[in-house]
Parts: sequence; C-alpha cells; structure tokens
Amino acid sequence: MAHHVEGSRNSCAQHGALQLFESIEGVIPVIHSTSGCGVQHYLGVTRLTGGNDPFGSPPVSSSNIAEKHVVFGGSSRLREQLKNTVKVVRGDLYAIVTGCSTEMVGDDIAAMTKEGRDQDWPVIYANTPGFSGDVHNGYHLAVKALIEQLPGIWQSIGEKQSRLVNVWGIIPNQDPFWRGNLNELGRLLEGIGLVPNLLIGSGQGIASWKQLPEAAINLVVSPWGELPARMLEELYSTPSIQLQGLPVGSEAGILLRSLTEQLGLDPLRTELFINREEALLNHQFARLADSYYRAGFQREFALVGESSQVVGISEFLGKYFGLLPRSLVITDNPPDILREALISRLSAIVPGYDTEVIFSEDRSEITDVVRKGGAQLILASSLELDVAVESGVPFLAVSFPLADRIVLDRGYAGYRGATALLEDIGSALLAFSNGRYAC
Amino acid sequence: MSEKTGKHIAIYGKGGIGKSTTTSNISAALAESGYRVIQIGCDPKSDSTTILRGGNDLPTVLDTLREQSKLRIEDISAIGFGGVLCIEAGGPVPGVGCAGRGINAAVELLQELKLFEEFKPDFVLYDVLGDVVCGGFAVPIRDGLADRAFVVTSSDFMAIFAANNLFKAVNKYAPSGGARLGGVIANSILAAYAPALIDDFAEKTGTQVIGYVPRSLVVAQSELYGKTVIEAVPLSEQAQVYRNLAQYIDKNKDSVIPKPLNSPELKKWAREWGDRIFDVETGVVHEMASI
Repeated sequence: MAHHVEGSRNSCAQHGALQLFESIEGVIPVIHSTSGCGVQHYLGVTRLTGGNDPFGSPPVSSSNIAEKHVVFGGSSRLREQLKNTVKVVRGDLYAIVTGCSTEMVGDDIAAMTKEGRDQDWPVIYANTPGFSGDVHNGYHLAVKALIEQLPGIWQSIGEKQSRLVNVWGIIPNQDPFWRGNLNELGRLLEGIGLVPNLLIGSGQGIASWKQLPEAAINLVVSPWGELPARMLEELYSTPSIQLQGLPVGSEAGILLRSLTEQLGLDPLRTELFINREEALLNHQFARLADSYYRAGFQREFALVGESSQVVGISEFLGKYFGLLPRSLVITDNPPDILREALISRLSAIVPGYDTEVIFSEDRSEITDVVRKGGAQLILASSLELDVAVESGVPFLAVSFPLADRIVLDRGYAGYRGATALLEDIGSALLAFSNGRYAC
Repeated sequence: MSEKTGKHIAIYGKGGIGKSTTTSNISAALAESGYRVIQIGCDPKSDSTTILRGGNDLPTVLDTLREQSKLRIEDISAIGFGGVLCIEAGGPVPGVGCAGRGINAAVELLQELKLFEEFKPDFVLYDVLGDVVCGGFAVPIRDGLADRAFVVTSSDFMAIFAANNLFKAVNKYAPSGGARLGGVIANSILAAYAPALIDDFAEKTGTQVIGYVPRSLVVAQSELYGKTVIEAVPLSEQAQVYRNLAQYIDKNKDSVIPKPLNSPELKKWAREWGDRIFDVETGVVHEMASI
C-alpha cells in the first residue's frame, strides 16, 4: 500500500457478510475463525450504527479456532460447531462465514457444508477472509452465496411475478439508516402498485430470498447492488434499473415514473401518487421557510458518506433545498469505472458552483478536506464531529459510524426521508444558531 | 526465547535430495567425536531422525501436543545413536492445515520446555523440509535461532533452484539477525560434471562447497537397516566423507550472506550448463571447452 489509512470506516469482508446474514430473519451465522472476529464486529460495527443491534451483545456462533486447528486444519472444529449450533439455535438457514486464518490454512468449508446438507440441515457458506476485501466485498460474497446456494436447498423456483421488485445495494449497518430507507422504498413501490422484495430487515426472511428469481425487476440503489442484479439477469433474465444513489425527495418521483414505464404500470395511478407525495413535501418546505431564513439555513455544506448517500442527499439539498455542496467525500471506494461518472454528476449539482468531490476512507485526509473546504454545515459520520467543533460549524451525523444517535426507523430515502432530513438538518442548524450542538 | 546453548545449524534442500541422511550422518559423526547433539526434524513427514533410532517410531511434538496439553521432553524425544537426542516436529496430514505454522509452534514449544538449557547440547541440527515455501519454514533461520544454514544439493537443476530459494531467504533474514549461510553440501555426486556445476553455482552466488558426498550404495544399504553409515559401516570411505563434513561444521566458522541469482540469471545459467552437459553426453567437442 502506498499510504496508511487512519480510522477507516470500512470494516472487513467477514463483517460485511455477517451484517447481511444477521439482517435476514431466521438466518443463523456461524463464524469459522479465531475468537475475536464476532466481538470485533459487535464493538467496531454493530454498536456504532444507531442501535441496530438486536440483542445488545454479540450472540453469534463461532468455532473460535486455536493453534492446533491452524496446524492440523480446523474443519473438524467447524463440523462440531455447526452440529452444536443446529442443536442450540433454531434457524431457517445456517450461514458459515470464514476468517483470515481458516482461509490461510485452507479448511474445506464446502465439504463441511455438504456434510451438513447431507443431514438435512439448511446450510450455506461464504469464504470471507478479511483480507479478501472490505465490508462491501463481504456484502457481495454473502449475497453471492445466497443466490448461488439457496436453489440447491429448496430446488424449486416459482413463476415470475409481474409486480415483484428486488431491492439491492443497501448494506445493513454500513448504512445506519438502512431500515428506514428500505421501508420508504417499499412504501413508494407499493404506492404505484408494485410488491417490494426488500430482502433484509423486519419481516424479511428466507422466504423473501426464495422469491428472488420470481421478481420482474431488480432495483439497484448503490454500486454494491450491481453484482447481484447482474447475477440475477444471467440466471433468471431479470432486468434491472440502476441508480447511483438513494432517491431522496423528488428523485423518488423520477424513479417511480421510470419503473412505471419499464413495467407497463398504470401511469395515472403513479402520477396521482407522486402528486400527493410532492404536495406534502412542498408543504413541509413551506412550513420550514420561516426558520430557513431566520436561522440562515442556506449555506455551503460538506457531506461525508457512502456513494449512495452522498449522491442522494447532496442532490436533494443542492437542487431542491438551496444549499451548496462544497466538499463531497465518498468513503466506500466505489469501482474505478464509476468514479468519473460520480465526479461529473456531483460536480454539476449546482451549475457554476465549485464542488469538490473526493474519494477517501482516511480520517485524517477527510478531516483536512472538510476543514479546508470551509463549509458552514458538516453532514458526516461521528468521526467528523471533532472537525465540526474545531471549525465552529453545525454538524449532523448521517453516515457510519454513528456514535451519538439512536436510529430505529429513520431514513433519508424517498419523500418521507426528505422530510426527516429537513427535520434533522433544521434541528442541527437551529440548535447551532442558539449556540448548541443538536447531536 | 530461552537462552541459546550450543551451536545451532539448519540444513535445507530440495525434498528427496538426501537432507535427512546427510544431517543424521553429520549428527552421528559429531556424537562419535564426543559432542552432545540434538537433531530436530522440521518436516511433517517426520522421518528426519529415523536412521539415528534404528527405524523405531517416535511421537512427534505436534501430535503429542494435540493429544495432551502438558508434555515433557521425554514424551517427544528419543535417544539415538551416540546419544543424539532425536525430535520430530511433525505436522498435519498432506492437504490439511498449515505445516509452516506447525514448525513455528513446535519450535516455540521446545523453547518453552527449556530443551536447550536442560540438555545442554554442543550442537543442535534442524533438518528442514524441501523448499522455503513460506514464513513457517524459515523459522529456524529467523530470529537468531540457528547461527548458520547449510544447503544440500545435487547437480539436478531443481535442487539448485531450491538452494537458490534458500539463499533468498537467508539474504532476507541475515541482515536482521537471522542465520548466515555456512556453505553448500554437494550430494549424490555421480556424473563427472556434477562437482563443477555445483562449484560454479556456489561461486556465482558468493558461497562455497564444503564437501562432496558421492552417491553410494553403502548409504542406501545402511538406511534399509535403519542406521547411519557412521554406525553401520564406520570404516567406509563414505563414513569418512560425513566425518569430514562434521569436522568442517565444527571447526570452520565461515559464513556469508549469499547473493542469490534472480530468475532470468538462474534460467540463463541453467541453460548454459544444460547445453554444455548435452554436448558432453552427445560427444560434441568444442575447442577449449573442457569441463
């Protein structure tokens, strides 16, 4: 590596896979690695996502291998752990994720999975050594494991459903607002007569994943949803509609219109729905006007987050709310092929205005960019609170890691997300105008 | 790390080249001279010390460690010819686990057991598996464990390549306190060109050949009886060859940081020698080209 990374907000591949599996109801992850991987996931990720941890502690099964398993191979330890897990925890699916040492040693995870299957246990596996990539790659590896291995367990694929939409690209916990964002996307899809298949979160279990091949279309809302969409296109000829970021505010209307066209839905129904949502959002803008001018909301802002958040939030604030995107920092290392497109799109949010767009996961570099940019509002992760305080500007935590916020059902996607964003940014600005930090 | 006692020597070389035979005979020769010797086999095959022990079974360090949490030196060692203390590190079955980590774990355990303080050896010989394929197999030459490394090679090109790999490892670790190279042991010498080829490689890499061990039926015959040549045919010429090696290792302190050839250099060198050997075998005569 050419340089060190300070305070990276991108955990390892194993954690990305764990996050996905833990967010599907009825899936029991089994870690095959040294002790500490699960705890680190809890301390370094789950606990910093606004209270998304369901149990308050890391209740994850782990083979906790020791030196003898490294020297002689740890497959038998995994066999034992899987057997015990099936005995102790009832689940619809057991998902093995591996760690660095077990992959270095070359334990035969596929064989252990097959042994489990031979006993009629629903087991899949994902090879997820931390060194294979970061949390986003882990999401890919877990999704790939599900898409490739689930058909082998159930061996039946249902008929295509003309209204069913799979939603991809929101990585649970890496987006602390993932539940709220997905709920809103689901509400919007339902609003125009579609059936959302959200795949993760409340009420989303293995039945949702079994329906994957039946969907009429895949909706992709981040670069990380492109791989599963491509796989489903190859396997089941499912087309997809790909966004670079979350649709926030009126961008959601654009998405709904294009879905209506692509799937041949009733345009009248869609327009009625969009009109109602737009009217409500405009009403919120109007109600906010007094505070907007009194507390001086219109100002330059810095935004630090994953590409889907940066695209969604900065375009909404820049195009519809009159704020100026000064420094935009994308932290999820999107593929090189997308970077040029992101830069041109984000630089042009406010024509004639100079927006700086950079890609970095290095805390010190991000801090420097934000500080030098001189924005008068910082929307970022809790890692950037210090630079906000130092710069004496208002701050709102909107991306991972979140140390000081509880997020249960809040999201910034769609029309309701736009309203939530107005509330949160408004509160932060108002509090600051009164000499305080809101959160 | 425990206090180091005695001279620690690591012997490397391509698999099947005669490392264990050479090491065991050196151990036997040193023991015959009255030295206290430990030979540690660092190879999952666990057959380094067989001919010092009459071919008897010996539980390996790692197998014993797997079975019992507390072990004693007596559990994992046997006294062989001339009082040589024989130890096999052991390792996983082929295709499973990590043999490199196994060597690491076994050596750490021997240090924890204060093997060297207890036995007070004059010499410790590590007989290390084939090639330096990963960090685990470099353990004996890292961290100042062994003072010197020797490499056993024949005139076979693959054996020379393995030797060159060891030189790379020594080159990497020696500057930070790892073992230096004592020299090359030329083994299985049969063809007339073999000594010249190995000499040339040693010269190119800045080291030297410390002995030439001819291919001999005596060695194979002794091994079939589970013995070293020193024990089985002590008055043979072959036994004297091993004694000379042992004496060199005992008396001579020379060591170098070798200069391994890079891949293109090594290929070019091998091709040139291949052509010369081919010409000799097929009777082509070049002016001034005697080997």
